[in-house]
Amino acid sequence: MSPTVPELGRFAEPALLILVSLSDGPKHGYAIMTDVEAGTGKPLGPGTLYAALARLEERGLIEALAPVDRRRPYRLTAVGSTVLSEQLHQLADFAELGLRRLGDAPR
Amino acid sequence: MIALLLRLYPAAWRRRYADEFAAVLEERPLGPFDVADVLLGALDAHLHRRGLWTESGPRKGFAMTLRIGGLAAIVFGLVWAIGLVWASASEPRDQKLPGSLLMIIGQVCLVLAVTGLSAFQARRHGRLIWAAVILPAVGSVLAIAGGIGMLRSPDGPLWFGDSAWDVWALGLMAMLAGSILFAIATWRTKALETRAAALVLLGAIGIVISAMISPIPLLLGLGVMSLGWIWLGIDAIRRDRVVAAVAS
Repeated sequence: MSPTVPELGRFAEPALLILVSLSDGPKHGYAIMTDVEAGTGKPLGPGTLYAALARLEERGLIEALAPVDRRRPYRLTAVGSTVLSEQLHQLADFAELGLRRLGDAPR
Repeated sequence: MIALLLRLYPAAWRRRYADEFAAVLEERPLGPFDVADVLLGALDAHLHRRGLWTESGPRKGFAMTLRIGGLAAIVFGLVWAIGLVWASASEPRDQKLPGSLLMIIGQVCLVLAVTGLSAFQARRHGRLIWAAVILPAVGSVLAIAGGIGMLRSPDGPLWFGDSAWDVWALGLMAMLAGSILFAIATWRTKALETRAAALVLLGAIGIVISAMISPIPLLLGLGVMSLGWIWLGIDAIRRDRVVAAVAS
């Protein structure tokens, strides 16, 4: 069974945000931080970022590329892309269910 | 500062991540939120290295979120003013202990709150935010020392000839100054609800003025500032939950 983001425990949330940030191409640490903050309006601390990056790398969901001027870009692996897609589809289904119950679903 | 923070991580971690991590830390001014987050990250790296997480068991981790700061702000708003009023109104002296304990809890929570909520503010007003954290931290130490001294002997000398009350009052003023600075930074960055920041600002100024010339009832200032901190805390948790609900 492929690893899933929720298995990362309390780091599931920053991990998912990082995976989404990497979904449009490789980024280095600071670019991920600013991208996540711009997208969510919530700060992502450097300690949390690297704790989550280390876990994602260990589980093969992302991989490090060669550093450029000390900045090392990361990119999604094929497994990471699959896991992210599954997670986002689950979230979309859940959101659709919630909106339908609220009577607010798009027709 | 960055070199010191990096030294806190395990050597194996540093060999793999130190260069790029240092590059990230150098990108922008480090605020109290970032430093606290790195400290928790270093602790996490040590625990992770020692295998305290298992594949089958629940993994515990540390993430410096708005939730921690928000919760601390709410607790401060709820307990500190009550503790102050309780301790002030209690006689004889030995009945002041519950109120004093509430104040100590509140003071610790204020330091946690300004640290946890300071991420966005620190990126534009780094010095202001560091002052907003250091002042309440120093103020808390003084207020706690003065509070303990007052339980023993309010008017006796405690520190360089100052009475316990003097030390406590100095600590209180430092805490209020920190609240004022944090409120100004929050108002200017609009990182959190600006009306809540305005309440913190007005309440803290009201307390300072009432302490000096007493034209404004102290209780009003305490109430307004507490309400402001509780509002800031609720706003931070609400913002955090919106993201968490989507991501988990």
